[in-house]
Amino acid sequence: MALGLNFSSEGGGNYLGFVKFNAKAGRIFRRDRENGENVDTDISRTFKAIIDVENIEMGWLDFDTGGAPSMVMGHHSAPKPPRPDERHRWGARVVMKLSKELGGDLREMSSNSKSFLRGLDKLHDEYLEGVKKNPGKLPVVTLGDPIPVVTGEGAKRSTNYAPAFEISGWTKRPDDLVYTPRNAVVETDEDEQPTPRTPPSTGSTRAAAPAKAAASSDDDDWG
Amino acid sequence: MNPFEAHQLEHLSPSTCNLFISSPAMFVLEKLLKKRSPVGAAAHRGTSVEDGIVSGLLKGLPVSEAAAIANSKFAQLTALSGDPRVEKEEKSVPEMVEIGLKELSAYGPPSSTQGKIEYKIDGLAVPMIGFYDMMWEDHGILIDLKTTHALPSKISTNHARQVALYVAAKSNNLDARICYVTTKKSATYRLENIQQHVDALSRIALTIQRFLSISSDPQELAQIVVPDVDSFYFADPLARQAAFEVWGL
Repeated sequence: MALGLNFSSEGGGNYLGFVKFNAKAGRIFRRDRENGENVDTDISRTFKAIIDVENIEMGWLDFDTGGAPSMVMGHHSAPKPPRPDERHRWGARVVMKLSKELGGDLREMSSNSKSFLRGLDKLHDEYLEGVKKNPGKLPVVTLGDPIPVVTGEGAKRSTNYAPAFEISGWTKRPDDLVYTPRNAVVETDEDEQPTPRTPPSTGSTRAAAPAKAAASSDDDDWG
Repeated sequence: MNPFEAHQLEHLSPSTCNLFISSPAMFVLEKLLKKRSPVGAAAHRGTSVEDGIVSGLLKGLPVSEAAAIANSKFAQLTALSGDPRVEKEEKSVPEMVEIGLKELSAYGPPSSTQGKIEYKIDGLAVPMIGFYDMMWEDHGILIDLKTTHALPSKISTNHARQVALYVAAKSNNLDARICYVTTKKSATYRLENIQQHVDALSRIALTIQRFLSISSDPQELAQIVVPDVDSFYFADPLARQAAFEVWGL
């Protein structure tokens, strides 16, 4: 439980593409923009990335703004910032370099879903243990079957999924994966929203066919 | 006796719920008075196109062979149809098969098709039954196919509820999508807010149960709804005549 204790905010901002973890479905998607529309590609089965676990950012996130989300983020080792308001929920953001087969670019993933944080926290614990034997390196992470997390009872019973991040190896930090403190980003997250105050949307995001299975990679495969 | 039993209804389905929402009078006519309206050419088009696309995906058929399967199915289904739209829909069938295969071929062969689901809603005396179109278990993806002449920009509410039910019954760990196919274009949208749509469908089903519990006499229930005879539900002459006979309208 090394995460979730500290925080502060820092501004700045390079735009990165997104990887989304859908806690309701337990699946992970690469989101791309094509012809002005969001296109999500399911990469759950092929997910492989170098994740900058060393620089996970924690903070307060509000995705339910009706526009760009509001985030107050900082490195996880920094003091915890004050919560802007009740709509902001504790969450995390992390940057990763996808495997060559998945595009090889830098992406960020952020969420205030408790089940996501559960999976990320476990990854962080394993990172802290593994980095002792791999100083200065970052983990190569794949995704196992998601772990169901059941909350509530009766009519309020709900199942979400925690990502089962698995460290499959260690590699030197890629040259382009440089930690830069940032603050706000633009993305939405529909996971674990509070009791709805408006009619539920049905879906207008185009979905692409799943990516084909990737071949195994080594240190030289990272785009 | 539960209110469904009194009306010889053994289950509800998303389509029955949608019918109750769209035309309570047609719900009474078809489900309670058992006066079935003929299936329209558009519905047969949907069935036929799905048949062609599924065959094409499962067997890796070229478009021409998949379209031939769909054409054959449509001819079979509409052989005795009096629907004046048969000719128009007949032309649409092979075009929709081609567009649909183009959209879905990258998914590969589905691991199951026309899968039956059953879902129990708390407080509802009968189960919800449905059949999903296609599922790819390896990818955890479920897709329902919808044919239409105008490509929507988002999933319709009725379709959202229908597919949300499949996911709730099958597995929460599914990526649910709805693929809309026209004669020219296609779009596959990811379903959002699944639990909220299931909750909505549950409320609708319970509303139907309350409606049925008013009386075990279908004629009595008919007297508390009124048909919109200009709606497409009553476009068929037989349905129109039935409405006149039941409601005098």
